[in-house]
Amino acid sequence: MTWFSPEGVVWTPASPRLIPVRLITATAYFVVPAAAAVVASLTLHRNFWWVLAVVVVLAAWSAWITVRVVHAHGWAERDDDLLVRRGRLVRRVTVVPYGRMQYVEVTSGPVERAFGICSIQLHTASPGTDASLSGVLASDAERLRDRLTARGEAQLAGL
Amino acid sequence: MTEQHERVFSAPREWTHVHPVSPLLGGWAVFAAAIGYWFSQGPGAPSSEEQLDLHLTLARVALIVAALAALAIGFGYLSWSFHTYRITDEAIEQRKGLLMRQHRQARLDRVQAVDVVQPLVSRIFGFAKLTVEVAGGEKSGIQLMYLRLADAEALRNEVLLLAAGFRAEVAARSSGEDAPRGEFSLRHEMEGFRLAPAPGSAHTAVAAAEERPLVAVPIPRLLGSIALSWGTVTMVILAVVFAAGSLALGIALPEVDLVAVFFGGGFFGVLSALFGMFTYAMASLNRGMNFRLGISQDGVRLAHGLMETRRQTIPPGRVQAVQFKQSLLWRGRDWWEIVANVAGYQDDQQAVSTLMPVGTRGEALTALWSVLPNLGDADPAGTVSRALSGSGAEGGFVTAPRAARWIDPIQWRQRGVRATDTALFIRRGRLVRELMVVPHERTQSLAITQGVLERALGLATVEVHSTKGVVRPVAQHLAVADAIALVEAQAQRARERRKVQTPEQWMAKVGLADADADADAPSSAAQSEASPAVTQEAPHDGR
Repeated sequence: MTWFSPEGVVWTPASPRLIPVRLITATAYFVVPAAAAVVASLTLHRNFWWVLAVVVVLAAWSAWITVRVVHAHGWAERDDDLLVRRGRLVRRVTVVPYGRMQYVEVTSGPVERAFGICSIQLHTASPGTDASLSGVLASDAERLRDRLTARGEAQLAGL
Repeated sequence: MTEQHERVFSAPREWTHVHPVSPLLGGWAVFAAAIGYWFSQGPGAPSSEEQLDLHLTLARVALIVAALAALAIGFGYLSWSFHTYRITDEAIEQRKGLLMRQHRQARLDRVQAVDVVQPLVSRIFGFAKLTVEVAGGEKSGIQLMYLRLADAEALRNEVLLLAAGFRAEVAARSSGEDAPRGEFSLRHEMEGFRLAPAPGSAHTAVAAAEERPLVAVPIPRLLGSIALSWGTVTMVILAVVFAAGSLALGIALPEVDLVAVFFGGGFFGVLSALFGMFTYAMASLNRGMNFRLGISQDGVRLAHGLMETRRQTIPPGRVQAVQFKQSLLWRGRDWWEIVANVAGYQDDQQAVSTLMPVGTRGEALTALWSVLPNLGDADPAGTVSRALSGSGAEGGFVTAPRAARWIDPIQWRQRGVRATDTALFIRRGRLVRELMVVPHERTQSLAITQGVLERALGLATVEVHSTKGVVRPVAQHLAVADAIALVEAQAQRARERRKVQTPEQWMAKVGLADADADADAPSSAAQSEASPAVTQEAPHDGR
């Protein structure tokens, strides 16, 4: 046993559609420097091609990281709590009891919507609770949210 | 003041304005008045034409200031006329706002803390601010600025009475204006407490629950603790370093004037260090002055403050996490500082989180029992003592393994975790000893994390998420297997304890007469041996 994965827990992985969504979002950070490097190399000095090379390498590296991180992300519904696992380099599993959930928030940005996924964020009374699910299929999200809310209400405890 | 002795103050059931003097009590108004006064006096150095000119300018400035002040006060009164509050059986309600109307309702069964705060100016004139903190999101609490002190106290007492779960008609009956002074208090019917209104306190319809003082911090000890604190020591070291540095420079370069160097460089360094020390000391002094911790039917009562005084009431079961701290220099005297998380408090955490600014070990234990009466341990005093100053596995602690020394060379031996039936203890710190205590039923969520280095060494870190506050319980660098077992066990324990936790209306279960059978009896009995002064009659111990 090298990492936290209790027996009998069935993990739901994040949808692979999250990969293109993350990549598209990340592209925004690389397009501008890459374009600037291209323009500079054409107009100023040809050594600016090196800058472009660095940008491309960085982009490729972050793409690889994105793929790994998305594969590492997942969640599992247990009887009394929800497990959320994320991270590859820094691994983290959060255990959120249903009875502690204050509210559940479903969000989806324009890119996420285009790929038919959304994010679900769970809030407890603690600012430290870091439990968000990314890459939830839109078709599952409603049901998951309702299930979480129902379980939360059934087990709700005072602070 | 004379009128207060004849009147019975009670919380309003109808919509009521806060006191009309409120717009004037903000600090700025006094400031503006002071400026106006200063200008009206003038500098007073006579000299013919120039003076006339100056006076004209001054008159103009004074006029502008006066106009601004009048505008601000006018606006203040306009918003005052929209600011009303009332109390019902279930909630305290507040309506305010000129353009954006607000109607805020704080459910009394969700009350986490009730504070009577008196900033300097309002204290001078006998007014107070009442804050009611409730569970649930940011800005869900209610702040009433300002009320007469007696009104604030009446409201506080009634809020706490209703929040405790006493039925409304009981409270209503007791709030009749004609109730003779000896009988209006429900508290009379409670066993274990005599009715003895604090001297000088106002005549309120619902009397304040009688308070049993537990800890008071003497001023010499407070001053001593500030002198021996890290902040002071750091500043002194800085000042010495600056002074010595400039002196050394002066000796090394004799052609440079020593005095000039000192005043040129070192002096300002020393000065800023001293200034830092002063502000730090003032903040600590403000926080710890006249500190008193007591316990009452309504829960834990805290009072402190030098310029701004604050009297907090935290009902039973509202403390989410507790942390003990002892810096190196306090060790000789075995002094401890205790801070706590209480849900609902948002701003000014330093002022509201202190459970004890400085106290002996015995007092620290007393303070802990007052907020967490049941530690689920046969020998709570011994356990906590070992947790405070032990190291290694002594006392049943799960410690960080030897591998942790590579990334945590200083305090890996001090790190340890131990769970009792009701609470989790996390110990850490070598120079500053720390112990965190989190009741299982107050755990919000858990997390287990592992960074790159931790993975290489086979370690993992467990976080216990508490509500917003100064205490952030984390058990770092445990062996992976221990960490995994801890998370699993902790999730299980929190689940169990949630089912049997304190009811939100803490007196509702007990009722006025029929006390329920006490599930925690054996352990609390064991605990009362450890500190009989507190627990035998502590109200929420026998819930």
